[in-house]
Amino acid sequence: MKTLTALLAPALLAAAAPALARDYLIAPTRPDRLVIVDTEEMAVDKVITIDMAAPLPSLPVVSADGRRAFVIVAQNEEIVEIDLESGEEVQRLILGTEQERVKALFGMDLSPDGTTLAVYESPVGLFKNHFEVRPTRLSLYDAATGALKARAEAPRQVTVIAYSKDGSRIYGMGREMHVFDGATGQKVDELPIHGWGKGEYVQPDVLDAWSQFEVAGMVTTPFYTFREGGDPADPEAYRTGLLTLDLETGEMVMKDAEATDIFYFSTAADPEKRRIFGVYNQLASFDLETRAPIKRVNLPHSYYSVNVSSDGSTVYIGGTLGNIGVYDAETLEKKGQIDLPDGYSMSLASVRLFTRDE
Amino acid sequence: MKHLTPANARAKAMDEALEAEAAAPAEGSAEEVLAMNALVGCTTSFDPGWEIDAFGGVANLCQPMEADLYGCADPCWWPAQVPDTMTTYPNWTENAPASEADWRQLQSVFPRLKG
Repeated sequence: MKTLTALLAPALLAAAAPALARDYLIAPTRPDRLVIVDTEEMAVDKVITIDMAAPLPSLPVVSADGRRAFVIVAQNEEIVEIDLESGEEVQRLILGTEQERVKALFGMDLSPDGTTLAVYESPVGLFKNHFEVRPTRLSLYDAATGALKARAEAPRQVTVIAYSKDGSRIYGMGREMHVFDGATGQKVDELPIHGWGKGEYVQPDVLDAWSQFEVAGMVTTPFYTFREGGDPADPEAYRTGLLTLDLETGEMVMKDAEATDIFYFSTAADPEKRRIFGVYNQLASFDLETRAPIKRVNLPHSYYSVNVSSDGSTVYIGGTLGNIGVYDAETLEKKGQIDLPDGYSMSLASVRLFTRDE
Repeated sequence: MKHLTPANARAKAMDEALEAEAAAPAEGSAEEVLAMNALVGCTTSFDPGWEIDAFGGVANLCQPMEADLYGCADPCWWPAQVPDTMTTYPNWTENAPASEADWRQLQSVFPRLKG
């Protein structure tokens, strides 16, 4: 009995101790790699090679337990599910047919319960000597089997796709923030983006193809506009704004932030929803509530993608080339850099953060 | 049609379609050959922006340009300036997975001959 207790003790202790959650980054690189980065070690944890993924695995969507990822691959025509621990391919969805080419450019998300994969698709009919552009659509696939569960036409030019926290809605960011039913994919509502600020600002311009809303549960994006009736020679008339969409409440807010003297390609909010970080040739922080700029630092090269640690203390910037910059969220001082294997480029891929219990 | 020789890809497609139709009239494949088809490449837009930024300078262009090279090629963003790797030239970057170090491996591309 004594021996049995001694044998069981470590297991009992382990069971009683709270699981340690650890932050990882997932960074797709050319031509077929998923690089997993251990943020605590600030080092590459694992490199997974995906078959037939070239030229770039682009958007990864990680399951809530951090053990599997769906990734858009193969010229944006296929989606693979990858076991992030074994590196094995679990399943592959081929979106098109011989008669119809289907691309999933940027927008994809997994429902909060992990059962449904929502994909924004652009189909084109292939004929003898012409193509037929077909309506863009939102397709809902069974995440376990890959079977199509629902499909509905969706407006064009949607980039980011994000589920609401309760899974009842799917948001599609495009010329407006389109709202789709989480079960059917049918459009049910629309929040104005192009229609924002009428009378005070000209139609805002949004360009954002990066999904990095998982830490804050909030989609954010920079937008660019001009004061209605402003003097084109006045630098203050050109305005940069920040949009936030809270995936918990569904509240969307667009606010003027600063004069447009530089660009940001994408932004991300911290988990406390106190700050927004914008990135491109500079890294900048803003107060999320007021949108007032706080700090800005120059970067060694352009980065497209930005993400935040789950404790809000660290900002990670990636995309474009083959390294991830690590910055202090408060001071924006550089804490380090993670060089990806062989320096292979991340290009347009979204760098995402996930947490896994160890 | 036996006295006419197809001179381009479209005429060749019409020839093939007529032959197929003669063999199996129910298929009606000649209807699928369109006379006019103006769209070239994977986008209808020509978007300047590689040479100068929105402020009339170069500071807000990507630094270095290799950082943005594949971001412009992969989504067929600037098909006039760089080959589109999404559809037409998927192998353009296969010898240059690290754009900053490998860009010398990138070659010019030429339209594939048809017909």
